[in-house]
Amino acid sequence: MIEGQGIPTLMIGTAHDIMSKVTPPRAVFVDHPVGRTFGPPHDRVRNQAVLARALEELPNFTRSDALRDPGFQWLSDGSRIWEDELSAEMRQDR
Amino acid sequence: MPFQYLPVMAQNSAPKPARVLVSPTKPAWCPIKKPLNESRVALLSSAALRLADQEPFIAREDFNYRRVPSDPSAGGIIIDHHSGIGRVPKQDPEIVFPRTALADLQKRGVVGSLAPFHFSFMGGLRDHGRIENALAPAIANDLKQAQVDLALLVPY
Repeated sequence: MIEGQGIPTLMIGTAHDIMSKVTPPRAVFVDHPVGRTFGPPHDRVRNQAVLARALEELPNFTRSDALRDPGFQWLSDGSRIWEDELSAEMRQDR
Repeated sequence: MPFQYLPVMAQNSAPKPARVLVSPTKPAWCPIKKPLNESRVALLSSAALRLADQEPFIAREDFNYRRVPSDPSAGGIIIDHHSGIGRVPKQDPEIVFPRTALADLQKRGVVGSLAPFHFSFMGGLRDHGRIENALAPAIANDLKQAQVDLALLVPY
């Protein structure tokens, strides 16, 4: 809709499965828990680093529906223990 | 493998039917016309954000949107979205709506300029026809009026 008006868009999101199905024109996957796309609360350095890195992907989109993964990690050691906490958090969201 | 959100969302919505994901009926692709450091940029958030003195969103089926000043000094952000995942971002909306980070990138010359306003609406609306036929065109028109070159969609 917005692209149809002549305005390019870039989606920056955490839900790989949803973005894969919705197929926005350009999407960057941030492998963080939902609701924390740009980092933990009150971490302005990380907020800006995530945004800047996502924006660096812009020139790399050459076709619609592309979903790029720059390799963001929520925990510096690459651990995915946060997924258990997120699952518990989301179960409360009923 | 990335975290799978759709099964959790389906569980959470039970016994109601799982939410249906819908792509636009008229997908479009607009090439990037300007380098980022010459582009005017706006954020679009589905977190139902507003300033304290703006009208609150009505839970779940509010088809309006708010213009949120892009200047971080204009006032703090309130998240009206009903989702339980808001417990963390409500401590610091910048982690879902990087208004300050974008303003800092503009000051550093990475981004050309900011639209005077960013835009926010209620994510998770179920009436997709109304989104396509009313809400999205209204926001697109506002973006055009503001001569935005790039819209950054930051889903909640």
